Amino acid sequence: MKRSCNGKDIIVSIPIFLLLVFLALLVLVPVIWMTFSAFKTEREILSWPPTFIPKTYTVENFIDVQNRIPIMRYIINSIIYAGGTTALALIVNSMAGYAYAFYEFKGKTGFFLMTLATMMVPFQVIMVPLFLVVFKMGMYDSYWGLIIPRVAVAGSIFMMRAAFSGIPKELAEASRIDGLSEMGIFWKIMLPQVKSAVITLGILSVNGSWNDLLWPMIITSKTEMRTLANGLALFVGQNTIEYGAAFAGAFLSLIPMFVLYIVGQKYFVEGMASTGLKG
Amino acid sequence: MKKMIQYWNHPSRSAYLFLAPSVILLILFSVIPLVIAFGLSLFDVSITMDTAKFIGFHNFIEAFQDSRFTNSLKVTAIFTGLEVPIQVLGALVIAALITKNNKRNKIFRGIYFLPVICSATAIGIMWRMILHSNIGFITAVLQSMGFGKINFLNTPGLTIFVVAFLSIWRSFGISAIIYVTAIQQVSRSFYEAAEIDGAGKILQFFHITAPSIRPTFWYILMTRFAGALQIFDIIYITTNGGPNYTTESTVTYIYSRAFSSNSNMGYASAMSVILFVIIMAVTVLMYRRMNKEG
Amino acid sequence: MKNWKKLLAIGTSITMAISMAACGGSSKDSTKKNEKGTTISFWNSFTGSDGDMLVELVDRFNKENQDGITVEMDISPDFDSQLSTAFAANTGPTFILSSSVARFTYGDHMQDLSDIFEKTDLKKEDFIQSYLDYCSEGDMLYFVPFQVVGDYMYWNKDLFQEAGLDPETPPATWEEMKNYAQKITNENKNVYGLGISYESSYQVARILQRFGGLAVTEENGIWKANFAGNKGYEKFLTNYKELLHNGDNPVEADTDSMMSAGQIGITLGGPWVTAGLDSAGINYGISLVPQGEAGDMNPVEVIGFSVTTIASEKEKEAAYKFIEWWNKENEEGSSPALEWSLANGFPAYTYSVQEKDSYKQNEKLKVMSSTNPDAPSDFIVDTSFEGIGQIINDVIPEIMNSVAFEDTAIPEILEKAQAKTDKILEQYN
Repeated sequence: MKRSCNGKDIIVSIPIFLLLVFLALLVLVPVIWMTFSAFKTEREILSWPPTFIPKTYTVENFIDVQNRIPIMRYIINSIIYAGGTTALALIVNSMAGYAYAFYEFKGKTGFFLMTLATMMVPFQVIMVPLFLVVFKMGMYDSYWGLIIPRVAVAGSIFMMRAAFSGIPKELAEASRIDGLSEMGIFWKIMLPQVKSAVITLGILSVNGSWNDLLWPMIITSKTEMRTLANGLALFVGQNTIEYGAAFAGAFLSLIPMFVLYIVGQKYFVEGMASTGLKG
Repeated sequence: MKKMIQYWNHPSRSAYLFLAPSVILLILFSVIPLVIAFGLSLFDVSITMDTAKFIGFHNFIEAFQDSRFTNSLKVTAIFTGLEVPIQVLGALVIAALITKNNKRNKIFRGIYFLPVICSATAIGIMWRMILHSNIGFITAVLQSMGFGKINFLNTPGLTIFVVAFLSIWRSFGISAIIYVTAIQQVSRSFYEAAEIDGAGKILQFFHITAPSIRPTFWYILMTRFAGALQIFDIIYITTNGGPNYTTESTVTYIYSRAFSSNSNMGYASAMSVILFVIIMAVTVLMYRRMNKEG
Repeated sequence: MKNWKKLLAIGTSITMAISMAACGGSSKDSTKKNEKGTTISFWNSFTGSDGDMLVELVDRFNKENQDGITVEMDISPDFDSQLSTAFAANTGPTFILSSSVARFTYGDHMQDLSDIFEKTDLKKEDFIQSYLDYCSEGDMLYFVPFQVVGDYMYWNKDLFQEAGLDPETPPATWEEMKNYAQKITNENKNVYGLGISYESSYQVARILQRFGGLAVTEENGIWKANFAGNKGYEKFLTNYKELLHNGDNPVEADTDSMMSAGQIGITLGGPWVTAGLDSAGINYGISLVPQGEAGDMNPVEVIGFSVTTIASEKEKEAAYKFIEWWNKENEEGSSPALEWSLANGFPAYTYSVQEKDSYKQNEKLKVMSSTNPDAPSDFIVDTSFEGIGQIINDVIPEIMNSVAFEDTAIPEILEKAQAKTDKILEQYN
């Protein structure tokens, strides 16, 4: 697929490029506004006429964040929560997605619909019963209680099912003939095929736990078990909002996720399936 | 031991092995709480579950007579109608435009992904500030451009569009990325063959890309649908249902019934059951359609 | 393929690191529990800057107290979710800080605190009686007052000057307030004379009360709603609608940030408004909200300490020690309660704090405490009416949204509110 440089392509590609730039601006303007605001004084954030670029830069907001919350402790907790959940979620949800995509078995529709059903009830409603279940299992106030209930996610299973569905069935047959076990086929042949999807799922899962506010708060009762998202919520008070500190905190918590995304994207690979069949 | 492995290695049996962890976890942490929650819909019970009085279907009767509940269903339907088509189709188009792994596309993908990784709290106060009717940055820019004073967050009829926009703004990046991974998976040989046949890019998209990524399309459509019908956080952090209840979605209302005003867990559960039936009906229809295609 | 394996290796090592960290974390916790003394947990929802001060004070208690008591405080951004789920599993904190109306939701999980005056040095006579009444039901004391929240009036002196008004004289009546607002409004500068948010139902509830008295009262042993035909309510709402229509009051839920940006002439709000105004550098004055037609009253909400049923006798005693410490004077004659009042601008709930020089000299507190202490302290409904949450979260918002966004006549809106409240009352009558 060489890039052709004829006139028709340019006519099409310029509007496309402009569209992409327009969307990028829609995303960037608010995010950059927030980033700049993290370096503004409280007085400038709330001012009329509003400013975009700070008149004076200050790191006061970041110092405030650092003084107010044990940020290292919270980051460690966030990493434990997000890392633990994601590591388990990748295995559990890919396996399930693979089963739904590649096997025919009794009760498939039933299981799948049950899985889907779990994503149709708002968390706010099952929150109290879920808490009771986790509490009765003795996992209150522990990292296990934080992580285990968040591992199996219907949406992730569904996503992996979709990803695996794109792989030709012949690939599995061929490997079976080669004498690979079912687990071997999944692990050695199939999983690498959907690498991009696995990475996306990983990023999504990390991100979901990283920004999760409610579950870590109700399942742990101690300040030292709190995550970064909980810590940052402290700047948004019941009656007052400390905008500068809140934006500074949001900026700080955004950076690790962005780095993770950039690293993850490096592993996105095009057109894997074609090489897979031959090899 | 070897026999065991051999027994389970059969494709139809190993399927259950693959499923077991997720099914066990889902039953424990999703299905059981869900069944309890549904059971509560038949009781008059507070959020702390101290005393429960069986009242049969009274909660359901009350729900259908509650104008705020029926209004919330309407709001949810409008929101879903706005959000889902734009999100599902828009993200697909964008994904098709940024699929190739070149530098330019990687930058665009990185940018579009930014809102996905922002915390909900930050997104909420950020947008509330920049769309503020008086001191908002965007409001001021639009005013200086001659659009007049637009009150984005306090105008009944307008605010629901703003909320739908924010919801798309927040998550189209992830939908697009998921499409990208699916499109990238499509075997390159198909495109090579099409190119030899002289098919253009647009034709290739409809004849090769679109059919190949159907499972992903269904995944995004169905999850966005279920998500939109349960829209809560973007509303909770920006308008909290206002102005004049024009953005009060069903889950927003359920939440306020469960936690803020008279913490009636039974009533909140009953409304969730009704919502569940609606979402389930739509999903089963889609699921049938999806399987027919598959 | 190589990259793929590298990725897996990274994943595995992360998982291992995590599980080690997880073990490390839990072992630390268990050693802590073996120490002597009592550890009590304390939950509240004091997010924001005053919560920061609370953290400092709790740390000080942990260091200062001689009884080996450790208070583990947890400030929650979503207090209700956290507390209600915990109570549902019969667990939870030793004691909490919350609005005294929380007794209608969590009352079954709260202990009677009336013996605190026998078991500690706290004196019942020192507490302003109307606030204690607010926290009790019959003989049962659900809360020990911690902070009294009422509304005050704030005005932007610079905007007064620009409008040709005397910057040192705030409006003394509601009529004046309206007149001033009309003068201050300046469309070219996006400046509004008055800033009362249509969404702030707590604030509106207090104003309504000033104009037309309580919304729910007891009559011959049954609850009665007072919305329909309430001339006071009607008067305020008519005026408010006019102000919105004429552009003297913005149709905006978030008026606080406008006040901080210097875009509003006069606003009402709790003591926390000053924190925002101070950091924004606004030149402002503070005074009492003018009384309305309904006579002298003190519409406040009382926030207090409450000990939960989860607490054992020993833990309850430890919590009492903390509450005692909070109100106890040190050698310099200061107490955490006094410091709290001075720093955050909350009026005192004890006579002893009111008598302190530093308290009397504080400009803001002087204004805030100048309310008539004999005026009844209540908030929108009879203090023992359990359905207060529904009045504030359902009925009043519906009124305000109708006033702001619908063409319905005010008396009709109030009749609708009456019907809605009557339905709520059925549950309690």
